[in-house]
Amino acid sequence: MIQMFIESLKNLVSKPETVKYPFAPSPEPKGYRGTILYNEELCIFCDKCENICPPGAIKFEVVDIESGKKQYNYNPYLCIYCGACVDACPKADEGCLTQAEVRTPVMGESVVKNPKLGYFINGVENPKDVEKKWRELEIRAAKSREDLAAYKKAKRAAAKAAKAKASK
Amino acid sequence: MGNKIIVPFGSQHVALPEPVSFLFETQNEVITDVTVNIGYVHRGIEKAAITKFEYTQLPYLVARVCGLCSITHAGAYTHGIEKLLGIETNKKIDYLRMLVVELDRIHSHMLANGHVAEVVGYENLFMQTFRYREDVMDILERITGNRVQYDYQIIGGVARDIDSETVKFAKEKLLTLKANTEKLIEFFENDYTFGLKTKGVGTISKEMAEKFNAAGPIARASGLATDARAEYDYLPFEEVGYKLQTRSEGDVWARNMVRFDEIMNSIEMCLNILEGIPEGEHKVKVKGRPDGETFVRVEAPRGECFYYLKGNKTKVLDRVRIRVPTYANIPVLKELFVGEKYSDAQAIVLSFDPCMSCTAR
Repeated sequence: MIQMFIESLKNLVSKPETVKYPFAPSPEPKGYRGTILYNEELCIFCDKCENICPPGAIKFEVVDIESGKKQYNYNPYLCIYCGACVDACPKADEGCLTQAEVRTPVMGESVVKNPKLGYFINGVENPKDVEKKWRELEIRAAKSREDLAAYKKAKRAAAKAAKAKASK
Repeated sequence: MGNKIIVPFGSQHVALPEPVSFLFETQNEVITDVTVNIGYVHRGIEKAAITKFEYTQLPYLVARVCGLCSITHAGAYTHGIEKLLGIETNKKIDYLRMLVVELDRIHSHMLANGHVAEVVGYENLFMQTFRYREDVMDILERITGNRVQYDYQIIGGVARDIDSETVKFAKEKLLTLKANTEKLIEFFENDYTFGLKTKGVGTISKEMAEKFNAAGPIARASGLATDARAEYDYLPFEEVGYKLQTRSEGDVWARNMVRFDEIMNSIEMCLNILEGIPEGEHKVKVKGRPDGETFVRVEAPRGECFYYLKGNKTKVLDRVRIRVPTYANIPVLKELFVGEKYSDAQAIVLSFDPCMSCTAR
């Protein structure tokens, strides 16, 4: 009984265990797994991050078939922030793909903008379009891959034919 | 004799943290028959694992089977796939894995005990338990980088290394947690009113536990010494001071107390691990494709979790089978209800700590 009384008094004067979020900030702890940031200059386009991403939130789209140039697209609203891409990235130590210690702002009335987030999210203005445009991008990216493969095959066949002609 | 009345309990109910439906057939408030439906949160994860995802992505998928034992699921899967690929892990990886597994066990057990306290009418005890539980959540958040989905165990190691600052932080928090848990145990053990609601309620005898093949703390509370940590060799638990905990009463109270005993044992183990983390790399190189079949048994907080994996030298596995502890405990739970009072049903269900997202997958 006395013990209980002491405990109650202690609890009356002690600081509350909770934070007053959203009126007070709720900071991320040290080492928090936050937004994935990308640096195009260091990228070697090995596609390892795309292949391991469990929800498929990273997509490379071939924009120029002749040179095989690819663009990095990342959807922070589909990402599960597991950090598998950063683990898989061979250039992660140099800073090609890094995980920031802050969380991505939630999708409210505007879409988050940052040049380090890739091409997709910087090209979308309306939050309602994100899902639709991402679905379009997925189809487009898959098709661009097929086109690139077909182009390469045709190029190889042409080279083979030219070689056969020359040897005749 | 009164009329037979069917009382539904769930799928939505204030006492239930997760959807499961019981239909109790009662007579004069005594349960005479019960029907269980457990398939409310079926997400088809086993099917997705063999169609949509490659074996490298699966640790992240199976971790999402359950929010509370995500570490156990990912750990069981990585252990199995490492067996198939023939990867040898070093001692440091084993120790770090053991650390998170035990921390996971602590927070899961505290949650279970808190819920039992809530349904027997101790709202404040529930709050206190959850308040103390925050310490262990903080440690896990600091070590793995996230609060619920840890994604810590990856194929061939762990996702990140532990630094000395985190070790110090974890040790301090664990010591506070230890003192707080002792306070809780004293209350759970000695309070008279709490005992009235839990002692002698829902008693499982040792024979019954054996017959229905109960798993985890439920079996250990009935005196059945079964623990995958002792029976199956997957991590060196004995090295860090693991001891099998059993009680003989077999009622709701004993299930709570066995959980508390395990929490104390786990805290001891975590402190031992933090005391001497071996030197070495936290990741080893992974090569090859999984081939052949294997099975893994690990001790989840709720009991034995079983994984069966079959590979075919491609990126997508042939079969992933998950058998979770709650599923193994449903038959004994069903049997147990008959003859009990309806008012005790909540405490009995919650003392089993049912995890429905695991069960339905």
